[in-house]
Amino acid sequence: MTPEKLKLVDHVQAINWNRIQDDKDLEVWNRLVNNFWLPEKIPLSNDIQSWNTLTRDEQILTQRVFTGLTLLDTIQGTVGAVSLIPDAITPHEEAVYTNIAFMESVHAKSYSSIFSTLCSTKDIDDAFRWSVENENLQKKASIVMEYYQGDSPLKRKVASTLLESFLFYSGFYLPMYWSSRAKLTNTADLIRLIIRDEAVHGYYIGYKFQKGLEKVSQEERDDIKDYTFSLLYELYDNEVQYTQDLYDGVGLTEDVKKFLHYNANKALMNLGYEAMFPKTVTDVNPAILSALSPNADENHDFFSGSGSSYVIGKAVSTEDEDWDF
Amino acid sequence: MIDAPRVGMDYHSLNAMLNLYGPNGEIQFDKDKEAAREYFLQHVNQNTVFFHSLKERLDYLVEKEYYEQAVLDQYSFEFITKLNDLAYSKKFRFETFLGAFKYYTSYTLKTFDGKRYLERFEDRVVMTALGLAQGDEQLAVNLVEEIIGGRFQPATPTFLNTGKAQRGELVSCFLLRIEDNMESISRGINSALQLSKRGGGVALSLSNIREAGAPIKQIENQSSGIIPVMKLLEDSFSYANQLGARQGAGAVYLSAHHPDIMRFLDTKRENADEKIRIKTLSLGVVVPDITFELAKNGEDMYLFSPYDVERVYGKPFGDISVTEKYREMVDDPRIKKTKINAREFFQTLAEIQFESGYPYIVFEDTVNKANPIKGRINMSNLCSEILQVNTPTTYNEDLSYNEIGKDISCNLGSLNIALTMDSPDFGKTVDTAIRGLTAVSNMSHITSVRSIEDGNDKSHAIGLGQMNLHGYLARERIFYGSEEGIDFTNIYFYTVLFHALRASNNIAKERGETFDGFAESKYASGEFFDKYTDAAWVPSTARVTQLFADSNVHIPTQEDWRALKASVQEFGIYNQNLQAVPPTGSISYINNSTASIHPIASKIEIRKEGKLGRVYYPAAFMTNDNLEYYQDAYEIGYEKVIDTYAAATQHVDQGLSLTLFFKDTATTRDINKAQIYAWKKGIKTIYYIRLRQMALEGTNLEECVSCML
Repeated sequence: MTPEKLKLVDHVQAINWNRIQDDKDLEVWNRLVNNFWLPEKIPLSNDIQSWNTLTRDEQILTQRVFTGLTLLDTIQGTVGAVSLIPDAITPHEEAVYTNIAFMESVHAKSYSSIFSTLCSTKDIDDAFRWSVENENLQKKASIVMEYYQGDSPLKRKVASTLLESFLFYSGFYLPMYWSSRAKLTNTADLIRLIIRDEAVHGYYIGYKFQKGLEKVSQEERDDIKDYTFSLLYELYDNEVQYTQDLYDGVGLTEDVKKFLHYNANKALMNLGYEAMFPKTVTDVNPAILSALSPNADENHDFFSGSGSSYVIGKAVSTEDEDWDF
Repeated sequence: MIDAPRVGMDYHSLNAMLNLYGPNGEIQFDKDKEAAREYFLQHVNQNTVFFHSLKERLDYLVEKEYYEQAVLDQYSFEFITKLNDLAYSKKFRFETFLGAFKYYTSYTLKTFDGKRYLERFEDRVVMTALGLAQGDEQLAVNLVEEIIGGRFQPATPTFLNTGKAQRGELVSCFLLRIEDNMESISRGINSALQLSKRGGGVALSLSNIREAGAPIKQIENQSSGIIPVMKLLEDSFSYANQLGARQGAGAVYLSAHHPDIMRFLDTKRENADEKIRIKTLSLGVVVPDITFELAKNGEDMYLFSPYDVERVYGKPFGDISVTEKYREMVDDPRIKKTKINAREFFQTLAEIQFESGYPYIVFEDTVNKANPIKGRINMSNLCSEILQVNTPTTYNEDLSYNEIGKDISCNLGSLNIALTMDSPDFGKTVDTAIRGLTAVSNMSHITSVRSIEDGNDKSHAIGLGQMNLHGYLARERIFYGSEEGIDFTNIYFYTVLFHALRASNNIAKERGETFDGFAESKYASGEFFDKYTDAAWVPSTARVTQLFADSNVHIPTQEDWRALKASVQEFGIYNQNLQAVPPTGSISYINNSTASIHPIASKIEIRKEGKLGRVYYPAAFMTNDNLEYYQDAYEIGYEKVIDTYAAATQHVDQGLSLTLFFKDTATTRDINKAQIYAWKKGIKTIYYIRLRQMALEGTNLEECVSCML
């Protein structure tokens, strides 16, 4: 891939949040701000005991999964979300992308928090070396990087949505699997916060994609659709390889593949397309599916961490009538 | 442990299907039943040690030091056999997967290598009954009847530990004062370590400690205030983790008028600096009436230096009624003070609750007005339902005790409201529960913390709780928080109180002993009984009258109360405190109840715990035909929850853990309004604030039961 100079916005106007052109911008901005979090909030160290109950193979698998996720989040934070800014239709959309970019960097850093809490330096280095050497992971990264540097705004959004809504999930599977087996539950809380963010990111970028699609000719639309499905196939093939590299050793590959199908459909849905995989191959293990729900209905006791539910609230002063007693 | 090779789906997956709609949009309750069944087939039965006879089993367990010989020695083998047969004759079955899973992961006796089960549910019940009855055969029989019948469920530490040779304490809830000196602070930390090691949750009051910048030995700007003490406590609790089983848990309480109050709250801010950030310690704020008055008038609220207050009044800040002395302290030039805006204080409180769920709130004056015991209540515990008086302890320089004061421990157990209403003898159910709890108090000796041990010996305080209110109301097709729902709550708690007092009175009569300080209580003066003898308490709706009539539960009359009053004044009562309604986490799963007297948080609850992972739990008695009665707490709204709690509160001597639930569209103003409403309605404490953030439309899982609005 040839390093191209990243395009910057050539014209900037002071952003006026009192003139909203697309309500979705404000809605998503508020949601993202409310969802703000930092990895320090999760008591990861409570997982050390549980980490030590994993077999050596399971530990190595887990480390590899997280280095893979780190790579994707790094791409998305430093290249992906930033590359969408020049394509923004509204100034508020630009602001949302900067928020997305920042949170992706928070995600990338969170994996390091997990590593530094649970693993030794040598193990961490080994896992990062693996991530550099693993062909399929590198290929996944280079495919996405290539499209980010291409010239079509819509295609960039497709790549971005597929990354947010599809490519992360081969990795997300594992912490969800562990948490359904009562292992690494605090780590799972952290991952669930990431999933909560990625769900909104994928949804928003997909939405903007659909807005953009409305403005182009039918011919171009057909072209983009072909492009989307062929990119998804390409990524899917590679993802299957990658999944086998990771999960064959522990016998979870079949289950993870169903999860891939499920999320590929999700990604297509975010882009406004019909599903690619039939229901018969998307029957994800219910324990994983239920564990995904990004909601706050979870109940936990004092001894088991903070959960993934609290948000930054909206402060409104009380009025005299409230104090009428 | 090893699972049998599975044919169909594994039990975790079956259980998770509860959270996913079936093909016709129905909740798949049958999958959960199947999960429970598969759990026994695939896992429990495979891993349970088999014995040929009861004799062989007991001999083995005693010989290998699993069971405490002394517990069994109090009974003849014939009696134990009879009790065992009685328990097994009830054909107990777990109603849900989580019930069974929770029991086998957390309660049952396992081999020392943790690989095999040595008890079934019936065995645990029998052992608990034998332990608590202390040789009283009739009580042992009664306890087995009540526990296996699902009417009475002892709290976790009691049910988990009784009769085991290698065990933790039977009580697990402790409250400690800290005074304004280094000896007391270091004792406090030591006690936190000792009690955590034994599995306890510990709450400490920090109100008496001088603020940051207060003088030490009259030199100004010396003290570092309460934040470093909180840090020390937080680290102590993480260190003492019961053989790695779980981390210690702690709470700290602070008066709203302590000068460090804002710093105290800021420790829970999302963006707080790591040095002052408090992650796992729970926070509580003690709010007197005056703070509400000041906020109402839009005034500033003064914060008073505990160091000066103690020097002026000769007693610790926490033992002063701020409401009573407020104007006096404001005008006293000897007391250093700072001020903040009262409304802003409440707003900050709400902001922090949004971000973290904390702090808990104790409405100090409400609590003390309702307290029948002589002394002052200035704090609560980790679940904000324990409200008892305490007194300070003083130390010598070598940390030995000078004068041992009174600190608080509490043992709890809860009645399943639905099954208690179905009880063949309501009064006997309550009586047995009170005797079971009293036994725990008598059997507990926390020698590592003398102020706790002495406090327990003097007060025999217990806390009878309640659970499954929402389940019961829904089963009877009554909406939570409706007129009938509140009417029932009122009359139920009223009736329980009568029987609880009578049981404690009977124990005092039998033993010729009352709690220390009975003579100075409102029970002895008779004042406590006025509200029951002066007015008649009867159901206000026909439906509730009918419910009690159908269940053959007699509602005590004024005449009944007069007789009880006379007997209490003559013989006293044995327990300083009788009731406290805890949040009931684990035990409500085993008992197939909705938690406490809350509305359900969700039709299908997602439970996460260190030992369990994520497991799904259906609300008690819910079917696809009565879903409308299972509105969740977010739909029901805070007014109805508070009204229900207010109806119960008037008959409970201690507190009730009250969580408030908000949708994420709420603002801090809504939370403030709820606090004002709760305070006005005579609520004693507020536990967590919980927020539910719904997935952004388009990002949720459509198949998922717990995601729907």
